[in-house]
Amino acid sequence: MGAYIIGSGVFLPDRVVTNEELAVKLGIEPERIHRSSGIKRRRWADPGTLTSALATRALAQAIADAKLTATQIDHLLLGTMTPDRFIPGSASAVQTSAGLRKIPCLDIRAACCNALYALQLARALTVSGAASHVAICLAEIQSRYLDLSPESATLSMLFGDGASALIVSAAPGPGAIEILDLHLATDGAFRDDLGIRCPGTEFGTAPALCETLLPDFAPRMNGQSVILHASRRIVAACQALLERNYLTTSDIRWIVPHQANANLLAQIARGLDFPHAGGVVSVIEDFGNTSSASMGIALDFLRRGGSVEPGDYLLLPAFAAGFTWGAALCRA
Amino acid sequence: MSLPQAAITFLNHNAATNSAAPPKAEDDLFQIGALDSFALVDFVNVLEENCGIKVPDADVNAETFRTIEAVERYVAARNETC
Repeated sequence: MGAYIIGSGVFLPDRVVTNEELAVKLGIEPERIHRSSGIKRRRWADPGTLTSALATRALAQAIADAKLTATQIDHLLLGTMTPDRFIPGSASAVQTSAGLRKIPCLDIRAACCNALYALQLARALTVSGAASHVAICLAEIQSRYLDLSPESATLSMLFGDGASALIVSAAPGPGAIEILDLHLATDGAFRDDLGIRCPGTEFGTAPALCETLLPDFAPRMNGQSVILHASRRIVAACQALLERNYLTTSDIRWIVPHQANANLLAQIARGLDFPHAGGVVSVIEDFGNTSSASMGIALDFLRRGGSVEPGDYLLLPAFAAGFTWGAALCRA
Repeated sequence: MSLPQAAITFLNHNAATNSAAPPKAEDDLFQIGALDSFALVDFVNVLEENCGIKVPDADVNAETFRTIEAVERYVAARNETC
């Protein structure tokens, strides 16, 4: 038994928020947003929409793409930083709304590395025989958490809403992508450089009790630290993964990264000396940084684009709050 | 110790890209546009390839590489510990 991605799906909210619209709120030039991130627009969910609703729509598409029915899914993993509720995890909501059987449902909290952690867990489940078909949902509604004041412009300009879903199965199917290996690592010394502090036992749980805590309920980022560490550690993770699989960068046809920032994607390609022009899959211009969802969105666009040939190797790298980072090696 | 020509060329090129003059030893490389966060990653690679040093992740921050003088001090210190 192995681990094969046999289906994928995406759901993006209808509302398009352009740099021009956002720039007015953030007090920043639209061109600066594009220059420093590669983002031109992003999608924001309407008020009242739940993260689980986006995930459910993406999952329905992925199940159909895999030519399965909802009742054939026997494990659900959901990655999000923006859950419907603090407890229980949003996977429970998706179990109900997607019509899944009463199967194990687990939320993962590894931020922008959620896709990688989910792939690792899904692979373990299918390879071990514990599951035949694992559904992975990756969804975010980040717009509701953003501080839209000029002080947070360089952070809030990045994020969009959206969802992706992948079906990982023990057996291959047409167009399947095999998950060969993953490399994941964490350095918790940098956990204050990226993330959301509250609610939690360290900084507080109730903003009404202390207004000074309000900024801690919004995302925070030390951009310079993130860029420096992401650039180096992603490249190192990819190199470690390639080396232990007796491959080199030139063997890789596609890099499907977490869509953090177009400049970072270019930096990673340069750091890896990646030879295939156009081989770095990027959807960031249209959708921004959708955190958990972004890698799955990029992978879905690549699969549906029809450019992947049997035998193509794919690298899926990501970097996230924690810091945690890594990469997956796959083969079509 | 002075930096290798490859490192100086890198900084001069970046400065020129931002319409700045070649940086002097005490210039703030980030302020004049010779470095930004992305360029710093490439600059560290240039130092590693040309100075025979390995820069640990913990040292990759703007303060360590703020001026040419600071970079020279850092490279000298790394050479002593390597």
